[in-house]
Amino acid sequence: MSGSLKLLKLINVILEHVYKFLGLTNPIPEVINAFITAAISFAVISVFVMFLVWMERKVSAHMQSRIGPNRVGPFGLLQTLADAIKLTTKENMEPQKRDKIPYFIAPIIAFVATFMGVVVIPLDKGVTIQNLNIGVLYIIAITSFTVIGILTAGWSSNNKFSLIGGFRSAAQIISYEIPLVLSLVPVIMITGTLDLQKIVEYQAHAGYWFVGPQIIGFLVFLTASTAESNRAPFDIPEAESELTGGFHTEYSGIKFAMFFLGEYISIIIGSSVAVSVFLGGWIAPAFMNFLPVPGFFWFVIKVLLVIYLIMAFRWTFPRLRVDQLMDFGWKILIPIAILNIFLTGLWILWFSKGV
Amino acid sequence: MNCEDLKNKLEMDFKEQVHSLNITPQKEVILTARDENYLDICQSLFSKPEYDFKHLSCLTAVDYIKENKITVVCHLWSYSQKCQLTVKLETNREQPRVPTVEKIWKSANWFEREVFDLYGVIFEGHSDLRRIMMPDDYKKFPLRKDFADDGFIVKPN
Amino acid sequence: MTDLLLSQIDINSNSLTETDEYIVNLGPQHPATHGVLRLVVKLDGEVVKETMPVLGYLHRSIEKICENRTYPQCITYTDRVDYASAMSANLAYAMAAEKLLNIEIPPRAQWLRMIFVELQRIASHLLWLGAFAGDLGAFTPFLYGLRERERVLDLFEMTCGQRLTYNYIRIGGVMIDVLPEFVEKCRLFLDYFFKKVDEYEELLTYNPIFLERTKGVGFITPEEAINWGLAGPSLRGSGVSCDIRKQQPYLFYDQIDFKEEISYGGDCWSRYKVRMNEMRQCVSIIRQCLDHMGPGAVEAKLPPVLKGPNGQEAYSRIESSRGEMGVYLVGNGTPKPWKCKFRCASFNNLSVIDKLTRGWKVADIMAVLGSLDIIIPEVDR
Repeated sequence: MSGSLKLLKLINVILEHVYKFLGLTNPIPEVINAFITAAISFAVISVFVMFLVWMERKVSAHMQSRIGPNRVGPFGLLQTLADAIKLTTKENMEPQKRDKIPYFIAPIIAFVATFMGVVVIPLDKGVTIQNLNIGVLYIIAITSFTVIGILTAGWSSNNKFSLIGGFRSAAQIISYEIPLVLSLVPVIMITGTLDLQKIVEYQAHAGYWFVGPQIIGFLVFLTASTAESNRAPFDIPEAESELTGGFHTEYSGIKFAMFFLGEYISIIIGSSVAVSVFLGGWIAPAFMNFLPVPGFFWFVIKVLLVIYLIMAFRWTFPRLRVDQLMDFGWKILIPIAILNIFLTGLWILWFSKGV
Repeated sequence: MNCEDLKNKLEMDFKEQVHSLNITPQKEVILTARDENYLDICQSLFSKPEYDFKHLSCLTAVDYIKENKITVVCHLWSYSQKCQLTVKLETNREQPRVPTVEKIWKSANWFEREVFDLYGVIFEGHSDLRRIMMPDDYKKFPLRKDFADDGFIVKPN
Repeated sequence: MTDLLLSQIDINSNSLTETDEYIVNLGPQHPATHGVLRLVVKLDGEVVKETMPVLGYLHRSIEKICENRTYPQCITYTDRVDYASAMSANLAYAMAAEKLLNIEIPPRAQWLRMIFVELQRIASHLLWLGAFAGDLGAFTPFLYGLRERERVLDLFEMTCGQRLTYNYIRIGGVMIDVLPEFVEKCRLFLDYFFKKVDEYEELLTYNPIFLERTKGVGFITPEEAINWGLAGPSLRGSGVSCDIRKQQPYLFYDQIDFKEEISYGGDCWSRYKVRMNEMRQCVSIIRQCLDHMGPGAVEAKLPPVLKGPNGQEAYSRIESSRGEMGVYLVGNGTPKPWKCKFRCASFNNLSVIDKLTRGWKVADIMAVLGSLDIIIPEVDR
């Protein structure tokens, strides 16, 4: 049993005793548990996002021969906190002719939709916030809701740049959803399950990570998930030099912060799924098996590496044009992903016959 | 082609069509066209291969308030003959109207809009004669010598 | 109710599928317009139907001001005509004034002018590179470009004390001789910079996304380009030999061995390539200038008051960083010019934007605008 699981069990036992002492019966303890989990995961994720923003700044600074933030806190680590405080205390400017309710709801939808994906990520052996046997499907479904938030934001801001940005985003996310799903299908075919935890366990038993046999799938997934999270070189919905801010042109203060947070969470989810499905999740690399560290540690390290890769994309490439982006999605990524499924099917057929 | 050659050639071709044709101490050939021949001269300077003035380098105007005239000045450059020519056309100050050369050199489009904006010269036949720098509802012509505005004090020159 | 609504719609008319033009104002305050340019863009979805530039947001009537200043006083205003390439503007005006007033300049001053104008060309192209890449969504080259530009500006600061508006090239020569250590520092910079150009090219030139965005975009044929009055690197990108340094050599450019960079594509990528190669040529020109430069005076003997001869005029052109820059001066026997006109490359380069972007996507406006190297103070003056 892994260390983190033991810890969770311990907390659970303590909580059970507390509930017994208070004389509470189901479903009240379950509800309280859910709230505690949500609060903890929200706090952890927010801190992680803050760290990522700092990391992004440092990575970009390094790539551009700058220093990056170094004033607030050690190595500028608290710079993001300072920015967050600034954003939350800022005056909330709203355009006069906005569509009031959608304008208010849009950032919430965009943020919540991405955030809900965190639920099924396998953090360690047996440790998931809520394990679902359709985990992969759930993540894909729930993160697609972001597009509704973005489209609503673009529409309700009553700004032409926002509207164009919203439409671009809708077109982009819908088209890149397809290669994203298709790139995961071969792994599901091999493992025969949609449960992320089981996919990782399969890799632990098999002794290899799917990034080897499924390298094509991995690359397609990485590209598509970068596009999903509106990151450069696929950042046309918020293309700064064309659309000023794209769909969030008219948002400021905490509402803008929610879009910003949502973008980073979607990066985290994208890379977490990539790590779980293709890079062996919480499994330690074979040559480092002897180290007495929990699987959670390896999971975080791998996620950070993938995120670093995505950041490096952003700071090296120019932005694609909208039609080129569509061409790339439909004419290159989807055929490759389908071919990959086909090849995997042949492989499974041949392999099972051999047995 | 040096400026003497150019002057002799121009003299041969456009003798009757010009007011004056001379070389300045700055070694520039200046041709002052008659009103009715201005467009023909420009057209043949543009299309004749021995001139080949394909490039309208600059088009502007000068306000000679004492002589009561505005002169439209075109500076031409020939990439093949490597020579420079100044073509001038004079018009009166009250009703400044000159034909447009936009159909010959497209670059004249904006140059002429600028001259219209700042001097009030009307280019007949121009496709899009609007103010280019000043606001659309502006009434005055700032580069004229008698221009006066509340914020702008003209010093005696 | 439904029947009523349906009966109002004529099935045969295309009112159900009719689309409206979408008019977007890019600017005057917009991250990609390099200043306060306003582009009114008519869109059909993402496709550009018409681009209408609206100028004048930075009009400071420099030409009118110059008519009310003496000849030497005007130099400070030329700095503001093109602030990203102020040395070239200084030179253009000084040369026109010298032509009008018939002034001879000592050789050392000429060599210095060449060195500084070419250094300025490097600085200006670096700024353009950053802005162009930024327009295409790659932010990193901007900081790379500014890093090296900083060192050029250090050289300027060392000589004339200014980093943006120099007022260094004066009528009759230059303001002041360079410091003794300037030559060595300049050579050090050139050696350092020559390698850096390869670094920029590595980052962009054959990057597949960059090629996608610039190849074939904003195409213009050589004949049309000349007719529209394009100049400088933008025209050479269409394959026209138009470098005034070769066509009508001024200063000592006829004594220098350098290549006129031409690219035949006529698209954004060719214009980009011309500028990149030009930076390398600048290095070679400056090196030769440093070799040729001998000691001597840097300023000609001038009369205490410069008076433009009455009724005479001069039009002088130079190859500035953005292309052809001409200054037209008319004298009237007083210390002030009767007329002072700046012919700036950006003005004409901007006028083709509608032609180059029609039928392309919104994002291509940025690519074209960036590749033409527009600077707004030069357009509006």
